[in-house]
This record gives sequence, C-alpha cells and structure tokens, in this order.
Amino acid sequence: MNLTKGHTTLALVVAAMFMLLLPGPRAEAADEYNCLMCHKHRYSARIDENGKRWNYNVDEFLYNHSVHRSIECRDCHTYIKRIPHDPVTQGVNCGNQCHIKPPFAQEKFSHEKIIAIYDQSAHGIGPADSEALKNAKPFCKYCHLNPTFTQMSEKTVPFRESLQRCLNCHPQRGVVQAYRHMTHRLRKKTSRSSKEIVQLCATCHQDTALMKKLNVSERAVTAVESYNRSIHGKLVRLGSQKAANCISCHASNALHDIHKKDDPRATIYKDNIAKTCSQCHEKTGSWFINIAVHPGEHHEGNPIIHLVSIFFRVVLYLAVFSMVGLMLFETFGRWTDGISLIFKNGTSWRGQSKRRSQKEK
Amino acid sequence: MTTFSKIISRPIDILNRARAEDAEYFTHVEGVGAVPRDIYKHVKSNPFGDLPRYSVHIVIQHLLVFTTFILLAASGLPIYFSDLFWASYFVSLFGGIDVARLIHRIAAFAMMFAAAYHIATIVAGTIRKIYHHEFDYKRTQLPRLKDLFDLIHDIKYFLGREPYRPKMEKFMYKQKAHYLAIIWGNFVLIAAGSVLLFPDVMAKLFPETLGKILPLEGGGLESYSAFFQDLARLMHADEAVMALILLAFWHWTNVHLVPGRFPIQWTFLTGKITREHQIEEHFLEYLNNLKEIPAEREYMKNLLKELGIDGSKVPSTADQSASSSQPADPAPPRKDMRSE
Repeated sequence: MNLTKGHTTLALVVAAMFMLLLPGPRAEAADEYNCLMCHKHRYSARIDENGKRWNYNVDEFLYNHSVHRSIECRDCHTYIKRIPHDPVTQGVNCGNQCHIKPPFAQEKFSHEKIIAIYDQSAHGIGPADSEALKNAKPFCKYCHLNPTFTQMSEKTVPFRESLQRCLNCHPQRGVVQAYRHMTHRLRKKTSRSSKEIVQLCATCHQDTALMKKLNVSERAVTAVESYNRSIHGKLVRLGSQKAANCISCHASNALHDIHKKDDPRATIYKDNIAKTCSQCHEKTGSWFINIAVHPGEHHEGNPIIHLVSIFFRVVLYLAVFSMVGLMLFETFGRWTDGISLIFKNGTSWRGQSKRRSQKEK
Repeated sequence: MTTFSKIISRPIDILNRARAEDAEYFTHVEGVGAVPRDIYKHVKSNPFGDLPRYSVHIVIQHLLVFTTFILLAASGLPIYFSDLFWASYFVSLFGGIDVARLIHRIAAFAMMFAAAYHIATIVAGTIRKIYHHEFDYKRTQLPRLKDLFDLIHDIKYFLGREPYRPKMEKFMYKQKAHYLAIIWGNFVLIAAGSVLLFPDVMAKLFPETLGKILPLEGGGLESYSAFFQDLARLMHADEAVMALILLAFWHWTNVHLVPGRFPIQWTFLTGKITREHQIEEHFLEYLNNLKEIPAEREYMKNLLKELGIDGSKVPSTADQSASSSQPADPAPPRKDMRSE
C-alpha cells in the first residue's frame, strides 16, 4: 500500500475524531467505606412485615451526578457505626453537619439554617398541629428528590438576590469571593422549571379531599385550580419561564419561608404584598394588589360580570347564526334567480330564473 | 322610503304588485337611457373588478388588519385554551410562549396603527369631499333607516316575493353591520387588551380615580381594580373568539365562496368591484359611477343599444301599466328583459 501524505493526515483526523468518542474520566462518588460494594446490586431489596417494599439499591451513576456526590454516606447516615451495619431504624437528618467544609469558612457544612426557616413556615410542624396535619406536612425529601441535573442559564437572577440565597446556608464571610469563583446553580430561584414547581406544589394542594380534611381556608382548597385559571398559570402551563409560579409570590429568596396569609412574615401578608408584586410589576399601588391573582369563576358573586358574560354569549350566538343564516338564505334566493356558483366568461348569471313571480308574468 | 310605504299599502296581489314595480324597473340616466334593474344579468365583467370601490389606503388597511388579526388569534388563542392538548404545540410554532406573547403585542400595536391610519384616512377624505362639495352621507357607512327597509326587501326577494333586489348604496346593510361590529370589536379589544397589558398603570389610572369619586363599601365587588381586571379578562377573550368565529364562518364564506364570488373576489387586493356585483348589490352607487365615469357611461349606452333598449324609448310613467300587462321580449335568450 502506498501511503501518501494525504492518507496519513486523513488517518490522523479520523483517529482524532474517534478519540472524541472515548469516555472522559469517570465521576466518582465519595465512598471511603465502600458502601457500594453491597448497595450497587440491583434487586437488593426486601419486603417488610407490613408488606412495604424497600429498595436498597444506590445507582452509582445517578448518585455521582447528584449534588451530594462528594458527601460520604455516613455523613448523613450517622447511625451506621460498623459494617456490615445493623438494621436501620432511623431516618436521615438533613440538619447534620457533614465533613464538607465550604470554601472560605471553617465550620462544617449543614442545612441547619434553612431547616430553621422551614420549621417556622406554614409547612413546618407546629405544636398545635393535629395528627392528620402532622402526617400531611412535607419534609425535606418530599420536594428535594434531586431528580434534575439541568444546566442553569446565566444572568437570570441579579447578583444581590443570588447572594442572599447563598447566605441561607453559608456564613457571610468570604461568600462574595466564593460566589465569584464558582459557577453555582443559583442563578435561578430554583433548579426546577416553573411548570415543575407548580406540579410539585399541586401534588398536595390540588388534592381537595386532603385539603378539606386539613381544614384549610376555602380559597386555599381551590388555590391550584384558580391559579391555573389566571394568566400566570396559563403561561406557566405553556412553558413560560417569566410568569410567576407558586414560590415566586409565596416565598422570598429564602425559599422555605412560606407562611399563611395572615402571618406578618408572609410575602403575601397585606403589608408585604405590594413589594412581592413589584418583583415583576413595576408600578404597584394600593389598587393594583387587589387584582385577583387567583381568580374565581368569571361570575362568582359579581352580578355585572355575570351579566356581561351572558351578554357576550347571547351576542355570539345571535351574530353567528343570524349572519350565517342570512348568507345561506341569500345564496338560496340568488340561486333560484339563476346565478351560477363560478364567475366565468365575464358573468355569473348564466342560469334561468326559477322564480314563481317571473313565471306568472 | 317608497319601498316601505309600498310594502305597507300594497295588498298581496300579483297584478298590482307587478304594476307598482314597473315604476321602479327602469331608471332613466342622462346620456345613457333607461337602465333596467336586472341589467346585471346581461353585463360583462372583469373578474379583477371594473369599477372603483376602495382606495389604496383602505386596501392596505384591510391587509394590515387581516394579517395582524390572524397573528393575534394564533398567538392569543392557545393562552385562552391553555388546558387543551393542542395549545402547547401551537405555542411551539412561535418558539415558546414568551415569544408568542411578544408577537401578540407587536401585532396588537400594528393593528392599532391600522385603526389610527383608517381614522386618519376617513377624516381626511371626508374633509376633502366636503371642501369639494362632493360629500354625500348616503355613500358612507353611516347606518340609515333605509338599511332596515332594504333588509326587509331583500328577505322578500330571497323568498321569491319581490322580483329584484333593493336599490342599495355603496355600503349595504350587511356591510354596515359588519363595519360597526369591527369598530365595537376594536374598541373592546384595544381597551381590554390595554388593561391586561398594563395592569399596574390601569389600576392606578382608572379605578383609583373612580374610587375617589365613588368610594366602595362592601357589596359583591371586592374593589374596582379587581372588577375592571376581571371584566377585561372576560371581554378580551370573548370578543376575540366571537370575531374569529364570525370571520371564519361568515366573512370569508360571504365574500369568497357564495355564488358569483367563487372562488375568490379580488376586491381586497385590487380595490375594484365587478360590474355585475355593483349593479346587483349597489345599484345607487352604480348610478353614481355612470355619472362620474364617462367610459362606463359609454359601455352602458352601447349595451342598452345592443339589447334593443333605446334611450329614446324610455317608458314614461303614463304607459307603465300598458308595458307591464303585456310584456314583450326583444332580447330572446333572457326572459325578463322587458321593453316596449
């Protein structure tokens, strides 16, 4: 075979292109105690005495791509003292300190601060709550399943607000530098899309039977339904990233501080609502905040709007049926007078009139 | 007016009716002759139009409204029907809902521009006509009592109880109704759309001022701003859906698909109307055309001569009864071409 310079170059280019297909270095989870030796096995599972199924498999690939990939298993599962471990009876406490040290800070990392905010919110379990309410309230893992590893687009949340979000967990000291060094997933208020957030909140709040059982207010029972009727809800359902989702209004940048309407800490408290609206609507005033964000059906308790609605419906049917009817009638009348359908040879009056009055003359 | 008085006073008697109609049958035009009412069955027309109807401004305005309306409906309907399965696919045609909303707003401003352009055209044209002493309110879109009588006359014609269609002006009852509906629709859509687009400004401008004059206590309404916003939400959508349904099921069919107009009426592009259409539906405007256009006068004179209706033999009112009692047929292929 006669190798020319061209062949060599071509071969090199092809080889280079194939090299692009080779996998990069594998992402590895922090697994000092080799927990995955057992937990990597699919079907490592059990059915307990109550018939509940437990899956003990940890998918290495998914875990390696989650936010907790650098955290040791035992940092969260602190009750495991020896391996192989005893049967597990406790749950995980997200308020634990793990062995990760955030940049520019000496303390170990923990979700304590945000949990404190959360415990104060409407979703936190309070002393006065009934048993049913306690069971119904969501906990960390209820929302934070780490299902999404989406890339965040830049420049969607201003710097100051993103910084405020850092401060939910990190101490003030050095955070500015840390923020500037890192490409963080904080540029949006949440990593979920607006649509996903509405779906997440709706899993409980749309369940009217559950909501009624928990004695929430009448407006709160239909909150999801009425939101979906609003322009925000419609746009979010169609995939808008700009329109307000649930937590745009119901939480500040601390994200977990969702309070009831009459709590002064709530973003939707009557003194705070103008500020909340002004995140998007610049010229908010005392009148603006009265506009229904969760609109009821068009005519609920409002006779004028009810009448206007009926008026439009009547006008619609009247106009359409009378105009179309007149048109059909007109076509019939002109047809009997001898008009043809198609304009041809300079005229459309090619037929003979079939009219009674014409024949009688 | 004459038509209506006849309807009331005339007994339902074929002979008498035929006699009364004959006074209406021929219209004497200076320098042309007696033009029979049903001459439209005998004229030759150019499908692209023979006689002027719309100026180039009106044609441009119609095209603007036509394109923007389709864009507005296409970008707005999926929001109204966001819970239906096709909505998200429809929105993806525009490249996402945020883009569709932007397109909706741009198209809305284009439509408002068309409305302003139209008002300017009408006002300037009216002033010019008044200045030249050419203005005639009968040739405008202003509704008159005659339109109602024309409608009654037309229904009788469709039923076969009148031999000819009413003599109508440049704009007939149907077109006037449609024009008024467009004015109303534009008003509602622009007003309600502005309330939806600038809720903050509108809440400040309108209800706040109203609230100072008329303080609101209790009642079914929570507040004026909520009320007006709800009203705007309702009216914007309902009016738009009504306009769309009327356009889809009535306007397009009525203009392009009915006999004589099928498959397409070119007026919306050429601004001209065919001769037979003008005479059939806008007879009085055709008489104006005869006065104003010498070529048309010449055409009609020659046609009448060809058909054997000579200008000198205009039937006078005296021998009307004679002519109707024994109708002769000088133009063999057509049955109803009456002459002496």
